[in-house]
Amino acid sequence: MVSLEYLKMSPLKKFLYNFLSLIKKIPLAIWSLLRQIPKAFTMLFNGVSGVFKTVASAAVQGDYKTKISLFIMGFGQLFRGQILRGIIYLIFQAVFVFYMLFFGWKYLAKIGSLGEVAMVKVWDDNLGIYTYQYYDNSLLILLYSLLTVCFIIAFLYAWYQSVKQSYIAQQLLELNIPLKTAKDDLKSYANEKYHKTLLSVPVLGLSVFTIFPIIFMVFIAFTNYDAMHSPPKELFSWVGLQNFANLLGGGVTADAAKFAFTFREVLIWTVIWAIFSTFSNYILGMLVAILINKKGIKFKKLWRTVLVFTIAVPQFVSLMLTSQMLKDTGIINHLLQSLGIISSPLPFLTNGVWAKVVIIVVNVWIGIPYTMLICTGILLNIPADLYESAKIDGAGPIRAYFKITLPYMLHVTAPYLISQFIANLNNFNVIFLLTGGAPDALRLQYAGETDLLITWLYKLTFNMGDYKTASVISIFTFIIVAVISLILYNRSNAVKNEEIFM
Amino acid sequence: MAKKYRSKSRVEKASNTAIYAFLIALSIIWLFPFFFLILQSLRGEAGATTNYFFPKIITFDNYIKLFTDTSLFNFPKWYLNTLIVSVAVTVIQSVIVLITSYALSRLRFKMRKPLMNLILILGMFPGFMSMTAVYFVLKEIGLTQNLFGLILVYTASSAMQYYICKGYFDTIPKSLDEAARIDGANRHTVFLKIILPLAKPIIIYGILTAFIAPWGEYMFSSLLMLGDYDKFNVALGLKLMLHRENVSQYFTRFCAGAVCVSIPITALFIWLQKYYVEGITGGSVKG
Amino acid sequence: MANLSLKHIYKVYPNGAKAVNDFNMEIADKEFIVFVGPSGCGKSTTLRMIAGLEDITAGELKIGETVVNDIEPKDRDIAMVFQNYALYPHMTVYENIAFGLRLKKIPKDIIHKRVIEAAEILHLTEYLGRKPKEMSGGQRQRVSLGRAIVREPKVMLLDEPLSNLDAKLRTQMRAEISKLHTRLNTTFIYVTHDQVEAMTMGTRIVVMKGGCVQQIDTPKNLYCYPKNKFVAGFMGTPQMNFFEGTLLKKGEEVEVTFAYSDQKITVPYSLFYKVKPSYLNGDCPVYIGLRAEDITLEEHKVQKSLTTVNIKISHLEELGAETLVYGDLNMGGDGYVESSTRCIVKLNTDMSQSPKIKFTSGEVVKVALNMQKAHLFDKVTEQSILPKIPQNNYLDCTVEQGKLIFCGEELALPPAINCPNLYGDLIIPTNAFYLGGSIKAKVLSCERIDSNYLTALKIGDRILYASNLQVENASFINLGVDCKKITVLSQGKQVISPLPQTVCLYGKLIKQKQKVSLRVKGKIKSKNQIVFRLEIEGAQFEVSDYITKKLISVLGAKKAFTTPLRFECNISDITFANEGIKAKVLNLLDYGRQKFAKVAVGEKQFFVAENGQGLKDAHLLINLNSASVYQADLNVKIV
Repeated sequence: MVSLEYLKMSPLKKFLYNFLSLIKKIPLAIWSLLRQIPKAFTMLFNGVSGVFKTVASAAVQGDYKTKISLFIMGFGQLFRGQILRGIIYLIFQAVFVFYMLFFGWKYLAKIGSLGEVAMVKVWDDNLGIYTYQYYDNSLLILLYSLLTVCFIIAFLYAWYQSVKQSYIAQQLLELNIPLKTAKDDLKSYANEKYHKTLLSVPVLGLSVFTIFPIIFMVFIAFTNYDAMHSPPKELFSWVGLQNFANLLGGGVTADAAKFAFTFREVLIWTVIWAIFSTFSNYILGMLVAILINKKGIKFKKLWRTVLVFTIAVPQFVSLMLTSQMLKDTGIINHLLQSLGIISSPLPFLTNGVWAKVVIIVVNVWIGIPYTMLICTGILLNIPADLYESAKIDGAGPIRAYFKITLPYMLHVTAPYLISQFIANLNNFNVIFLLTGGAPDALRLQYAGETDLLITWLYKLTFNMGDYKTASVISIFTFIIVAVISLILYNRSNAVKNEEIFM
Repeated sequence: MAKKYRSKSRVEKASNTAIYAFLIALSIIWLFPFFFLILQSLRGEAGATTNYFFPKIITFDNYIKLFTDTSLFNFPKWYLNTLIVSVAVTVIQSVIVLITSYALSRLRFKMRKPLMNLILILGMFPGFMSMTAVYFVLKEIGLTQNLFGLILVYTASSAMQYYICKGYFDTIPKSLDEAARIDGANRHTVFLKIILPLAKPIIIYGILTAFIAPWGEYMFSSLLMLGDYDKFNVALGLKLMLHRENVSQYFTRFCAGAVCVSIPITALFIWLQKYYVEGITGGSVKG
Repeated sequence: MANLSLKHIYKVYPNGAKAVNDFNMEIADKEFIVFVGPSGCGKSTTLRMIAGLEDITAGELKIGETVVNDIEPKDRDIAMVFQNYALYPHMTVYENIAFGLRLKKIPKDIIHKRVIEAAEILHLTEYLGRKPKEMSGGQRQRVSLGRAIVREPKVMLLDEPLSNLDAKLRTQMRAEISKLHTRLNTTFIYVTHDQVEAMTMGTRIVVMKGGCVQQIDTPKNLYCYPKNKFVAGFMGTPQMNFFEGTLLKKGEEVEVTFAYSDQKITVPYSLFYKVKPSYLNGDCPVYIGLRAEDITLEEHKVQKSLTTVNIKISHLEELGAETLVYGDLNMGGDGYVESSTRCIVKLNTDMSQSPKIKFTSGEVVKVALNMQKAHLFDKVTEQSILPKIPQNNYLDCTVEQGKLIFCGEELALPPAINCPNLYGDLIIPTNAFYLGGSIKAKVLSCERIDSNYLTALKIGDRILYASNLQVENASFINLGVDCKKITVLSQGKQVISPLPQTVCLYGKLIKQKQKVSLRVKGKIKSKNQIVFRLEIEGAQFEVSDYITKKLISVLGAKKAFTTPLRFECNISDITFANEGIKAKVLNLLDYGRQKFAKVAVGEKQFFVAENGQGLKDAHLLINLNSASVYQADLNVKIV
């Protein structure tokens, strides 16, 4: 691509050229993506058929130990001297059978309707009052059904492993190759299989507290779970894609239309906020870092410490304090009034536009020290000879900044910038503690002028109990964040070259 | 030539003066709120605000009341809660982050790339989304309104914070691992004897961030501790003081509380500043 | 204290890139082996595979008698020195050296003794308490060496240990490592990209390029008999000159024409006896390699020599004792750039001060080429066509009434060869001679090279080479020629062809249940046991455990029984027997000393040594121990 003609172009032309070539690439990218689909299917098919082939050949060619393993997990291992493995498989199977018989199937059977009867009023003769008897709880049905499905998948995997291992052990013994002993097995968990030892707990935590809840909430998005349908008193049920339609403006009721409008408004502000907060912080933080690190400036450490001080004070303290200071009756308005600069209080947090600007400014105040710290580290790492050669070539400080400092910084900090951008899309603390989404706006449903998607989400669940909408919004937020970060990560090279630093 | 040289130095001087002025202004803006906070915490007059900057009565009453008058706002209890959670989170999260980072940086296994991609994707879901479901799960196990539940929620997904730490591990030369493996170490020994001792800055950085985070966390704790004032952390509690009905009476006490929260963390921070800077610059920018 | 054996070692990365391609080598105990080559040639990868830091994709690596492919590095009894030293920064020098011993749980006092000993050898005693970052590069590398030697390894591996040091320190450390090798008496394997290091340190050198071994030989042989153009150019400074040209045989002389300049020289044919005649017909381009020291400018030599050419000087490089003169055979050429006409001449500095020749840019001078030292390479394959041990002797011959006449000697052709009278070219492989025949020859020289002997024989007025004769220098011997190996060409057609030496057979591995009587606790029990056999062309053969395991480990437990296999065996391993592969005997060939039967198995026809059973159909047995087994569809060697 770096042809001589390209090098000759003016910056504007270069940009145009790059932009056009990017556009031109899109159909090709989509085409290559589409082409991968059959490949993915064949891979999937091969994988699945491989599993069936192994099981089939184990069932046909296996000896009796292997064949019994098909029904009693761990049997083959137990009778080939791999006692520890065998016992673990056996216990797992026992637990699974027990769970399914006494627990799992009850919930799984009701997944289709999410329950028939929620609550029945019963006349209690002894007490002389009506008491409530609770039956089906849609929430629990969904929760445990999902859990059971996960459990079944885990069981199938373990069963396959057990059969496969048993069959392989049989073949190895036929070749007079000794099997691994329990001691070897355990030893390998400190060496070749060390990643399993290390990652088991983190991955388990991740599965139970992140992946499982996310799957659960995705399912909620297809139900009508809200304050009106709240277990255990009421049931909720499947509604298909209705919630998505409502949010995108396909709803029929006025309420749905307002929701769609609110979603659009909040989304736009979220993106604006993320762009402004990220770049204002970055540019100003870098500027401060450059100023502090300029040759000839004294007390470098003092200036840095003053700024670092603000990182040290917990963010929520600074945020709550500033929210108090910026109130209509807050100290800043008081001071300005007593100095006679203004006659009536400035609507820092009560006017929508003012509030938005103030939030970005306060965020700059909070964020600059972080950026300054990071930039200082990198600035000191820029090879001095780059500047020297620029000086010899006759570049002044401003040129040197634009031709050397900025490109270098952008190149090195690209991943940081992207992660900051994504973090800002989901920045709860700044908005919630500073304005709480205020000022309220009538045109928006349950959202204030400064609410981001994430704080709106918080309000919807926490205050309104509207879980279905919250979950749909979450999914949209994810899609937006995923698309943006995919584009950004693909454009930055630093992320790809992981191995270079090794 | 000489003349030009002089003029250059004059320009330099002027620009330096401007920079000094700017930095001084910056420092004032940056420190002003904290100065204000301390002054307010010592203020004797009642009310949410005064229309003057320096309080007329200086008193430690707010601090004393904060720790003695626990009928409505049990600040000492909140403080203790936060401390317990912080320490527990620090220990568990550091361990999880370190082992995850080591595994992803140093070990090569089939699921490595998929796992890293999975974590990347999970990070794009709004944290609050899983929160509601986690709440139901915890409610089923009976861990809501419980500090242990909070610790669990904070630490369970610590693996997702591996990025910075892994970035740091990646900078430790791989030949050290190889030399140790030839010397007779298995992967476990390499981790304990080679990587961990060399990762001191990033460990301290991890401890510092893990310790600080629970002090300012609001979102999860508000959901989990809903209704049980005794289980609040300081962020929840102090926010309560600023509620519309309370702010006029308790603003000064809020400031005292905020100072109490800030002092240990600030001290810790200033003390370990070097490692923090090393961690944040070393780990976060090396993709 | 161990020997190493690398057999068909491959390293293929998941993306398909071959880092190491079929590496074969036997390393004897106490050798100092140097792997050398440009960066990315696979030398470090090979070393790391020996260390166990990289997986071996295919092949077999033995240290001592054990196969170590799947053994962890720590259990291989090796030590390694890294390019960047790889010292543990948080430990002192003492702790660094003791680390490996501590992990082995060796008693403290022994560790202490060994660390102190190693420190003394390497002059590190006073630095034992320091941390690596407080030391210089040379000291750090010594610590790294110390860490390796305290473990008393069987094999020492050194991965470019000196490339991070400055030139002076490098020379000094080079000597120290050589000293260490004599002192420790272990096998050293040393990787470097610096050919000077390789030449000075190694007992044998492995030259690699692009993952392939180019040549394994002693430093002297590498310098004198490079196998290809790459090795010739890589070894020695300044680089060897490569002139493109053609050779034309004119009677007992060969005319060498240089390309792009049309300069010609004439050399005696005796220098090129080893060259295949097809290169000598005047239109096959070759590279003529000559080192800078084999070209001279000295006036009296130039006058005497028949091999003078003109070069245009472009510039000089003064190196102190020597001066390099850069020039070009092509008058329009440019001696600054490497080309197939550039000529570098190495002169004594006194010589370059001589007033007779002007060393200025653009000056044309006469230089004499010492063609005795010339190397010849094929232009396309870049392989040497003037090898140390030639494969064949190329002669003119006549056949008259069943008699082969060459070099004035007569050889009766055996009954198996039926040949009309003709005049043609004769090719006698160097291993086709045997002692005790009718041909008289004088031994000019005889030297041992690896397991072979290179014998130069004078028969008539020709020099012939033999590779399998152990005879005394300057003696007269009687020779015979094994007629089943010779080729005679007449007008480009093969009139007499050699008997094929190998045969390919197809088959597969099978698994069978068999009743085997076993002695269990004194009682004889018959039990079903699984046995493995090879089925080759319809007949079953017992197979050694080694081959079975190898097949199953390479192909996998399932595929091993379905994959078609190809067996390549020497015909000397096939014998007639009462059972085995059914074969049809077609006819008998009488080669005088030996008789062969032409047999057919299915479609395939080959020759088997006959043992007097005549023209009966029979069965064949194969000695599988020395056969090679290939995966037929992929053509990959397994055993």
